[in-house]
Amino acid sequence: MDKYEKLEKVGEGTYGKVYKAKEKATGQVVALKKTRLEMDEEGVPPTALREVSLLQMLSQSIYVVRLLCVEHVDNKNGKPLLYLVFEYLDTDLKKFIDSHRKGPNPRPLPPQLIQSFLYQLCKGVSHCHSHGVLHRDLKPQNLLLDKDKGILKIADLGLGRAFTVPLKSYTHEIVTLWYRAPEVLLGSTRYSTAVDMWSVGCIFAEMVRRQALFPGDSEFQQLLHIFRLLGTPTEKNWPGVSSLPDWHVYPQWEPQNLARAVPSLGPDGVDLLSKMLKYDPADRISAKAALDHPYFDSLDKSQF
Amino acid sequence: MEFHFDLENPLPTSTDNFPLLFHTETDHMPSKAYLQTLSNLSTRHQILSLILHFSHNFDPFSSYLAINYMDRFLSTQSIPDGKPWIFKLVAISCISLALKMMRKTEFSVSDFQDCGVILDSLSLERMEMLILGALKWRMRSINPFSFIKFFISFFEFKDQISTQALKDKATELIFKAHNDIKLLQFKPSIIAASALLCAADELFPVQLPFFRNSISTCEYVNKENLFYCYNAMQEVAAIDGYESVLNAASSSCTPTNVLDVQCFNSSTSENGEIRDLKRRKLGDLAN
Repeated sequence: MDKYEKLEKVGEGTYGKVYKAKEKATGQVVALKKTRLEMDEEGVPPTALREVSLLQMLSQSIYVVRLLCVEHVDNKNGKPLLYLVFEYLDTDLKKFIDSHRKGPNPRPLPPQLIQSFLYQLCKGVSHCHSHGVLHRDLKPQNLLLDKDKGILKIADLGLGRAFTVPLKSYTHEIVTLWYRAPEVLLGSTRYSTAVDMWSVGCIFAEMVRRQALFPGDSEFQQLLHIFRLLGTPTEKNWPGVSSLPDWHVYPQWEPQNLARAVPSLGPDGVDLLSKMLKYDPADRISAKAALDHPYFDSLDKSQF
Repeated sequence: MEFHFDLENPLPTSTDNFPLLFHTETDHMPSKAYLQTLSNLSTRHQILSLILHFSHNFDPFSSYLAINYMDRFLSTQSIPDGKPWIFKLVAISCISLALKMMRKTEFSVSDFQDCGVILDSLSLERMEMLILGALKWRMRSINPFSFIKFFISFFEFKDQISTQALKDKATELIFKAHNDIKLLQFKPSIIAASALLCAADELFPVQLPFFRNSISTCEYVNKENLFYCYNAMQEVAAIDGYESVLNAASSSCTPTNVLDVQCFNSSTSENGEIRDLKRRKLGDLAN
């Protein structure tokens, strides 16, 4: 790792610690992610091989943080480790929204910027889904921004995210509660691409509101937040919901007017948001379909 | 283990995304310069023989993938001649990487020990990392098998038996063609289409013109390249090369013997007549 000068620790990724670092030869600033993937007796571990090659494939899109290279380092005990070297972006959507909510100059995010960020997010998610990969942990912290160029990129595509629909089942301890889809909260283990679209909807609303749409602090509270706004789901609007593993009898709430939760958003935006927040995962809009939604009609798509 | 690699479905899901595969297939081919450098031929020949030899106990798709890695690796690196142990190390590293990508159960380096190779894990690891770096970790190779399902739909078979027969024959041809240096220049998709047409020529000759026209209308297919590839594939089909190489490779466990086996049979003079016949048959394809 002599090639890089570590500048500061910038966070904890799915793999482990993430450092901001400078490549000495070129001066290029990069993000170094130390993986927990240790070499063993048999060379490069198969999991690392399969998963990093998948990341490599996904990072071909400009809407996904680029994997620049993989470095192989011997740690202090002489045990070899893998570091993933990613392009570095200086801010993320969480910090960006925070800077518009508090601090010296609170102001809404410009509507054109919200539109552009959401479009890029849907592009990136569509790219992952077309490669057969779910993100499963989309949240503002995982969306890195190049503020000057107005570019948004998906980061922290972790290991173990590939999926096969619909046979595989997964443990459900994954998504940060606030962005977690109701089917996951209700114990469904058969995920689909729709779990990411729920998160996209929550992030869309959060850009408009500058605060989280469903800030639950437990799984139960998270569900109640959702039910209070969207109404308690029924067999009618979500067939099979009462058979999900963690379904209970909940207070009966009527759906509220979604537009009131996002007062500054126009009717097209509210329509798209409502399609991202459909209860039945089968009814939820796909990333690809979202790109063609009228909400984006006024966006200059030639720049993407 | 999740998302092991399947040559027929390089993306980790069953949803077909053929435009993406066509768009990126050239990233998974050896360079043009590699194909033009004659000095590579002897190196390729020797390592390829070693791969076939060491991997004869594994399924042929693993060998196929290992050879793909080898070709792409040799595109970026020249290996000093006269050091047979490096050839062995490259061959085993390519096989090891292929097996790790494909298999659900782990393999062991000790699988190779009975072939008289003493391998230390540090050398293996270093060579694997060198190959991974050279291939930019693009290990989910897009290959001819990835396109079989796409092109087979052009044949519009109603029954499963014909579909399977055609697929089996084409698969056999693709394996065979991998040893032939002439076919390396063609895109994986063109090789798949050609193999299916050659298979159809043998199994369903009457319908061949229909199949040919149908595949030629595909927007992703360059007709001229298909024509040349089809002809080269017909030559391959007429040779009994692949099986004899495999048999020779598995009959002995001594690598030095394997090195003598002629495995990329580019001499076709004895099959010239067949070739000309086939070429006439497909003559109108390029028009």
